[in-house]
Formats: sequence, C-alpha cells, structure tokens
Amino acid sequence: MRNTDQFLADIRDLNLNYLILAQGMIRSDMDMAIYRLNISKDLATTLNNLSAPQMLKLASTHSLIASLRFEDPAIIDILTHDKKTKSTSNAHSSILLANQVIRDIC
Amino acid sequence: MARKQQSILDELKDIQLASELIKYGARLQLLELEVGLSRDRLIKLYREVRDESPTKGMLPFSIDWFLTWQPNIHSTLFYVIYQKLRTHTELTGIEANIKAYKLYLEHMPIDPGEEPVLSLTRSWILLRFINRHMLGVTDCQQCGGEFIVLPYAKLKFVCGLCHPPSRAGKKVPTKKMKTIELILD
Repeated sequence: MRNTDQFLADIRDLNLNYLILAQGMIRSDMDMAIYRLNISKDLATTLNNLSAPQMLKLASTHSLIASLRFEDPAIIDILTHDKKTKSTSNAHSSILLANQVIRDIC
Repeated sequence: MARKQQSILDELKDIQLASELIKYGARLQLLELEVGLSRDRLIKLYREVRDESPTKGMLPFSIDWFLTWQPNIHSTLFYVIYQKLRTHTELTGIEANIKAYKLYLEHMPIDPGEEPVLSLTRSWILLRFINRHMLGVTDCQQCGGEFIVLPYAKLKFVCGLCHPPSRAGKKVPTKKMKTIELILD
C-alpha cells in the first residue's frame, strides 16, 4: 500500500507532467491546445510564458493543480455503463467535454 | 470580371491554404469559394497535390444525411469542436473549419484506405447549413450534450448516443462486404 509521502510525490509528478504537456501543446499549436486543454487564451498565453523553475514551483504543491473535467456523476454513469463500441463512446465523451464552458476568471 | 492583382505573398498564402484543403479532400467548389486563386490554377494545384483530376459533379447537398445516426454523431463532434475554436481563439472562416476538422479526425481515426465518415467538404456544407438556419443544435435531455438537429426539432430530444437505434453500428464494413462478394463470386 502506498503511503502519504508517495501520494504527495505522485501529485507533484503529475502536476509537473501536466504543465510540461500543456506548454508543449501550446507551443506546437496554440489554437488546438486551447481546445484540448479547455482553457482560455489568456491562460494559455500565461502557461506558455512560464520558465522551467516557475513550472517546478507551481507543480511543487500538495494539491493537484488539474481537476477532473466530468463534474456530474450521472454523466460518468452514462459514459461507462453502455454497450456502445469504443469509437462511438469516445465520440460521446468528446462531445460532452467540448460542450463544457471555459471558465474565465475575471 | 478581372481578378484583382494579387501580391505574391497573398498568393503564397492562398496556395498553402488550397493545398492543405486539397490534401484533406476538399472539392473544387469549396476551393473556388474559399481560396482567391483562379479555377485553372486550382485544378492544376489539385492535380499536383493528389495526382488526379478533381471529382466532377454536384456537392453532397443533403440535410437528411446529417440527421442519420452515425453521420449525426460525427458531424456533432466536428461542430462542437468548431464552436469551441470560434469562441476561444481568433480563428474564423475556413481556417477554423480546417483546424476543427483536423481535431475531429484525431478523435475518429480511420484505418488506412478507409474514408472518414465526415468529409472536409461535408463539414464545410454543415457550417453553411447551420449559418442559414437549415440545421440547428439542441441539448440532449439525458446527457446534456449539444446535438445537430432540424431547427424545429422537438423539445424533449434524446441523442443517438443515449438511445442508439437497435441496428446502430451493426453495419457490415464495406471492406468485409467486398470480400464476401468476392467469395460469393
């Protein structure tokens, strides 16, 4: 069984991996990254400008910095409890995820 | 009417756009409307990119196609991606169309030799239908997703993914059909 220290280390790893992946996608194609990450252009620009030490700093917290995009348990139920083929159920999740609003923090 | 004299840089941009559109299978009619190059140059470019002459004939101009089960899922997926790009990036027009189409293809990968369910030309026609209010979107009562429907669709709509028709997805793939036909011959 994993202990708390291991969880915390994994959280930091995941945070850093997320930031590296996000920055890589933004640098390769900003518009597509905005869709893939479901973030606003402002946020994408800020992530793009982070230096490596800044990313490390942001990742080194004991909380996950990215959260689950499915918020409604009923939706997870719909997406996991059906007999659809892989490609149609992929399409279903993508349609529902793309429908989510990007929250702009003012 | 004589075409306005184009700058070389503009022409270069048009050629890049046109060859990308051609690569993704755009029909000549689409190219003529979206790219500022003459028909002759477009045909020449088409031959260079695809090594074949452009397909002749009318565009697949049918609203019903977008409402049948599998095409509806594919066109809905394309459209929600397109909307996201339009709302949150500065992409417009054909550029938003092609980028959304690329993301759609990523979600629905195809086996080599197979054609995607939704072609680039069809995705372009879909946007025109929606712009002219010949098609619209409505929320599924069950999963809450937005789906392509007729503008006067019933209020209590349930999408084809929450309630697939009984035969949905059971179609024999064309490749298999051909093999069966060969065996029968």
